[in-house]
Amino acid sequence: MAATSVGRVLTLCRQFQNAFRISTSLAVQQSALTLTKSQSYLDRLTYPLLSSNWHCHVGQCRPLHTTISRRGLEEFFDIPENWGEATVKSGAPWTAKQLRTKSNEDLHKLWYVLLKEKNMLLTIEQESKRQRIQMPSPERLKKKLRQPLSLQIERSMKRLDTVVKEREDALRLLQTGQERARPGAWRKDIFGRVYWYRFREHALPWYMNKRYKRKRFYTPLFVTPHIRLRLEKHLRAKTRIQNKEREKQTVLQEKFPQIKAQSS
Amino acid sequence: MAQRLFIYPLYQIGNPQLRIFRPPFSLTLVRPGKEQPQDTVQFRIPMEMTKCDVRNYLEKIYNVPVGAVRTRIQYCTNKKRNHLNQKVKRPDYKVAYVQLAQQQTFEFPDIFTEKDVKSAEGSVEEMQEKFMEDEKQRQKPDLRRGGVTEWFGL
Repeated sequence: MAATSVGRVLTLCRQFQNAFRISTSLAVQQSALTLTKSQSYLDRLTYPLLSSNWHCHVGQCRPLHTTISRRGLEEFFDIPENWGEATVKSGAPWTAKQLRTKSNEDLHKLWYVLLKEKNMLLTIEQESKRQRIQMPSPERLKKKLRQPLSLQIERSMKRLDTVVKEREDALRLLQTGQERARPGAWRKDIFGRVYWYRFREHALPWYMNKRYKRKRFYTPLFVTPHIRLRLEKHLRAKTRIQNKEREKQTVLQEKFPQIKAQSS
Repeated sequence: MAQRLFIYPLYQIGNPQLRIFRPPFSLTLVRPGKEQPQDTVQFRIPMEMTKCDVRNYLEKIYNVPVGAVRTRIQYCTNKKRNHLNQKVKRPDYKVAYVQLAQQQTFEFPDIFTEKDVKSAEGSVEEMQEKFMEDEKQRQKPDLRRGGVTEWFGL
């Protein structure tokens, strides 16, 4: 499983390469057998390296290695070759479409890869602010999008979240038929407005919960005039919009009689 | 980080250990402002994290042996005003001081050392650099004058 994920993951840019490094080191930790598998993949991987959708600058691709990288606090910083560089090459953010093709284990690993990358960028940013030097890759600002890399990573993580949520929703619907993960109910607040109240977990029953009882999910009688006034305001605004639209149509018809009357 | 605002489920004695998959928290390693002991690493962490969270985070994700964690909240000023004379708040942050176990030490590295890049010989950049260096040499005053400016005659 780890080896196949390695094979799929490797064809793309820097983030992928880190993923490969980390996943192989994880594999090494778990079992020595996977090491041989990933080494045999080395031959096969040189072929698909160039057949990727995005630009994978072959000169920039670091050679594969299956040694356990010395983990720890070094991962908060870039690799030592990139220290002091003005520009650092980086890849495009993940799209939801690409993420949907990955398995759950892959997504889980990818989340941590992105998280470590984000931590690294934040560290470098803070250090550059401290030293009053410009961060070594504001050209991680994409020319098209003009977004810093940390934002790209945040977007990738958000999309990953969305994909995982979709899968969880589907599973829950199939297994239990529940549409929402968090239970709730339609309730009326003090002002007479109906809204979806999401339940919270409490250690006490509701009739013993003083703070909860102060919330009042009913409308007192003296609020009724206010509700009526609010309703009138809403209806007046709606009629105003409709009248305006009608007047606009009449004016247009006068000016341009050939236009067909729009059905609103 | 505030993408998933969730309330932690209620814990009562006997409940299973709470596990968070795909944690939304990100840490920032910072250089300490004041001198810290050799085994202490300083982080900026989100407000919602606790000492136990930091310990588990570093141990599980970064495989760093953590001894002790101490946290504090840094209050940042609300006194500054913008061009509209409105008060502008600088966001608060939480700082964690992590002491490494197993007598490990950590020194904050110098990331921004400028590398001496020597451009290829015969190229345009090299000629430009030479030209700039010659110009600078010409601009410098005569050393024999002992720092006295050219304004004074002789």
